[in-house]
Amino acid sequence: MASSDANPGAMPPGDGSVPPGKPMTVGHHIVDKGAEMMQSLKPIKKMSQHVCTFAIYSHDMTRQIQTHHYVTRLNQDFLQCAVYDSDDSSARLIGVEYIISGGIFESLSPEEQKLWHSHAHEIKSGLWVNPRVPEMVVRPELENLAKTYGKFWCTWQTDRGDKLPMGPPALMMSPQELDLGIVKLDLVKKRDDKYNISTDALKTARAELPAPERINPQADYWKQNGKGFAIDVESTEMKKITAFP
Amino acid sequence: MEGVNVSTHPEIPGEPTQTSTALLEKATAAIQGFGPVNKIHQHLCAFHFYGHDMTRQVEAHHFCGHQNEEFRQCLIYDRPDDDGRLIGLEYLVSEELFLTLPDEEKRFWHSHEFEVKSGVLFMPGVPGPIQRQDLEKVAKTYGKVFHFWQVDRGDTLPLGIPQVMMALTREGQLYQNLARDVERRYNVSFEKESENRAYMTGPAHGIHPMANGGGRGLQTVLREVECKPVGVDHSAARVFV
Repeated sequence: MASSDANPGAMPPGDGSVPPGKPMTVGHHIVDKGAEMMQSLKPIKKMSQHVCTFAIYSHDMTRQIQTHHYVTRLNQDFLQCAVYDSDDSSARLIGVEYIISGGIFESLSPEEQKLWHSHAHEIKSGLWVNPRVPEMVVRPELENLAKTYGKFWCTWQTDRGDKLPMGPPALMMSPQELDLGIVKLDLVKKRDDKYNISTDALKTARAELPAPERINPQADYWKQNGKGFAIDVESTEMKKITAFP
Repeated sequence: MEGVNVSTHPEIPGEPTQTSTALLEKATAAIQGFGPVNKIHQHLCAFHFYGHDMTRQVEAHHFCGHQNEEFRQCLIYDRPDDDGRLIGLEYLVSEELFLTLPDEEKRFWHSHEFEVKSGVLFMPGVPGPIQRQDLEKVAKTYGKVFHFWQVDRGDTLPLGIPQVMMALTREGQLYQNLARDVERRYNVSFEKESENRAYMTGPAHGIHPMANGGGRGLQTVLREVECKPVGVDHSAARVFV
């Protein structure tokens, strides 16, 4: 079984909802609310940005998705993001992305660097936006982010209709200025209409944004190599302490 | 044998956050909507081990929300703190949903019955009687976990490929030093809680034989592929729903 499987295997159609399942009972909600009041949920409260952008499957770059990142900063050079397929409360959790500065990226081994993508084009082209935030407020942050690299694993391929998260995670790539990296216009338009923004206008506004001096060629591996990555899962002997399961 | 305790704090490489950046993010945090993450209402503490290696065990703090009565999605952190590292995620499904999965897929999912009944899976800060109202449901569910950051081997960055993780299924698997450490920090007793949970039952159809790796280890492997598959119709427009 691989992240690059075209179809994950037959599933019953259900009522079409993603995921399927009975609605929560009122009683259950009440118990949850009660418990919630006693817990602090600190890592969740530290999320400080919502970013809407696009990503592309590295093993099939014809498949492009809109993503919603909920971002936590751990230091000036490192961010971690919970990624969803929409921004409403019923959104599906579809993966995790990590974002690092150029300096940290350079410290990675070449093998590791292949799994990462650059952000400069995504930001300068206006594809990456912080919904509801005026551009001038977020502009200083964009200058920093344009120099970063990301690593994004997608665990639920909702764009191909999976009702439940199937298979191993898929590695994602970022939009780029050429070829398979160009995001389809209808996808962008749909996003722009929803937020009443213009990606093109943002691109113009961001023309002055300094691009990084150099983007490491190990990132965006497909550009130089025409190759992406898939994750296979193999059944193997487990190293054990005692019986399993 | 002892497990590695990763609740200590190796530094992530990088400079401390600049004041200007922090202020900007205070603004974005205040202005923007956080719909999907506002749904996260619950903190669960449990342990995972690597799908191919039971000797590597990780304390896992889950922050969970319900999509519906039968499906939860959780973010996993190594510590439930402001600077907790996002190390993975987990999906939980009811037995009914689990049974609809193809057999190949079932292997990724682990049962929760033992974790819950042993007391090891718990909700920090929540009194027993309230926890149990939810955990008796969790005992019947199956979970699918990936970790992206191997903090137990000292990685200060999320290196490598995703790891399928498994969960406790019987006595004798969990390193006692890791267990004692959690009990001490949260002032809980797994054994006492286990007595209170003796009434709980697992999946109605019993634990499925294909779950928990189908009884074997699972290991992920990276493979290079052509980035535009051959023989697929690329002309069809794709609309994101």
